[in-house]
Amino acid sequence: MRAFGLITGLAAGVALAFLALPIVAIFAHTSPGHLIHQLSNPVVRDAFVVSLKTTAIAQLLIVLLGTPAAYLLATRRFAGHWLAVTLVELPLVLPPAVAGIGLLAAFGRLGLLGGTLSALGVSLPFTQAAVTVAVAYVASPLYIRQAIAAFEATDPTLADASRTLGAGPARTFFRVVLPLARGGLAAGLALSFARGLGEFGATIMFAGSLQKVTQTLPLAIYAEFDQDFDTALAVSGVLVVVSILMLAGLRLGLSWQSSDSKTSTSLFGLSSSS
Amino acid sequence: MRVLAVVVAVAALAASAQAASHAQLTVYAAASLTDVFPKIDPGEKYSFGGSNALAAQITQGAPTDVFASANMTLPLQLHAKGLCSQPVVFTRNTLVIVVPKANPAGIHNVYDLAKPGVKLVVAGPGVPVGSYTLQVLKNMNLTAAVTKNVVSQETDVREVLAKVALGEADAGFVYSTDARTVPGKVTVVKVPAWAQPKVQYGACVVTASPNKAAAQAFVTKLLGTAAQKQLLAYGFLPRVKPKK
Repeated sequence: MRAFGLITGLAAGVALAFLALPIVAIFAHTSPGHLIHQLSNPVVRDAFVVSLKTTAIAQLLIVLLGTPAAYLLATRRFAGHWLAVTLVELPLVLPPAVAGIGLLAAFGRLGLLGGTLSALGVSLPFTQAAVTVAVAYVASPLYIRQAIAAFEATDPTLADASRTLGAGPARTFFRVVLPLARGGLAAGLALSFARGLGEFGATIMFAGSLQKVTQTLPLAIYAEFDQDFDTALAVSGVLVVVSILMLAGLRLGLSWQSSDSKTSTSLFGLSSSS
Repeated sequence: MRVLAVVVAVAALAASAQAASHAQLTVYAAASLTDVFPKIDPGEKYSFGGSNALAAQITQGAPTDVFASANMTLPLQLHAKGLCSQPVVFTRNTLVIVVPKANPAGIHNVYDLAKPGVKLVVAGPGVPVGSYTLQVLKNMNLTAAVTKNVVSQETDVREVLAKVALGEADAGFVYSTDARTVPGKVTVVKVPAWAQPKVQYGACVVTASPNKAAAQAFVTKLLGTAAQKQLLAYGFLPRVKPKK
């Protein structure tokens, strides 16, 4: 019994140290002063703006389209339901490079919809819109999965009660279901925002990399890696801080979830490790 | 990314490679050498990428034996830091413009790149082919007019080529040797000889290499007749400019 405790403690210690070391190393190389100083570096500042803008727009699209999709998948059972769920989850496990190739093959100039888009005067590759599309593609599953779980966890008798009391489906959704699921939805949003901010592979393939236009923070890290390692470290430090804030937001979302709904205690339990 | 993948693969294979007669060398080489190096010596492990990314990895202590760069600047910098031997020029190259076969932007010479709306893809400023591109534009007094049409700065020459071969970009600057690898997909537009930068490839033995003798032999082999013949066959230029 004591040996067991010793072994699990040791294993946990190694695991935690392994996970912590790269983060510690980033900050060991960059002092907080240098980190703040780097925020005025034009490359870092431009990348920060591009990242924030594209991720925010992508999040807006994800919420507007993903919430109804998640509600439908959580409340209705139909032929091909499993197929729809698999489709939603696919970008989670797809290598980002595959996502990049797929986006080019679909929305590139010579892609499936390339002709249609150029007839409308739209050319996606190498634009900020392309970054947004790439981010939305890879980050949406994190929100939708979480939203499905949150909707499934709401007590259906409460929605039924609302309907029998005369509220229509829209009123029931906005006044009963949505408030009950808000914690899970916020957690999903935090996760997909963090994933979107870190998007690299699909972006560099589909949108390219150009300062002020398509160069996001992760792309700036890659570009600076062989130019100025210190700047690359500083940008990494910025992303670590943002990620920690996101996780804190996630915990907040967790505690915000209505206590009377039957949600699982670990919101992460439902999401992938990516 | 490709570089990292190769490095990981190489690390995984390292244990199984012990049977070779001399220790198998790890050669970090410019992306433009991707096709010709395995022909010159199929027995070594190669990691191809932007020379600047490779140099940065060597600076960070990547376990490698030979560095073959698409310029002399990077190996000379490593040499100055004591990280590799005095580099030697082993081949030369020329810069060209590639356009997709359909040539949607109607690019027929370097000056056409300044036309409004052209989607030009180049390599980043730290990548050798990226700085050669800037030199060509400077030589032709086109810097401001053309750089405004740049839509992406790629991490190595093969990424530039891929974006043009896919038809996503209207034009890109690559080495003439890269253009030859996808003849069905791109058309070459020449850069005038008077505007050409001096594209020299430098190789050196990495100081931290545990196989220095074999690494030196590899570098020497690059200068030999057989390797030079292979390089010429792939469109590279003789390492010394022939006198007229």
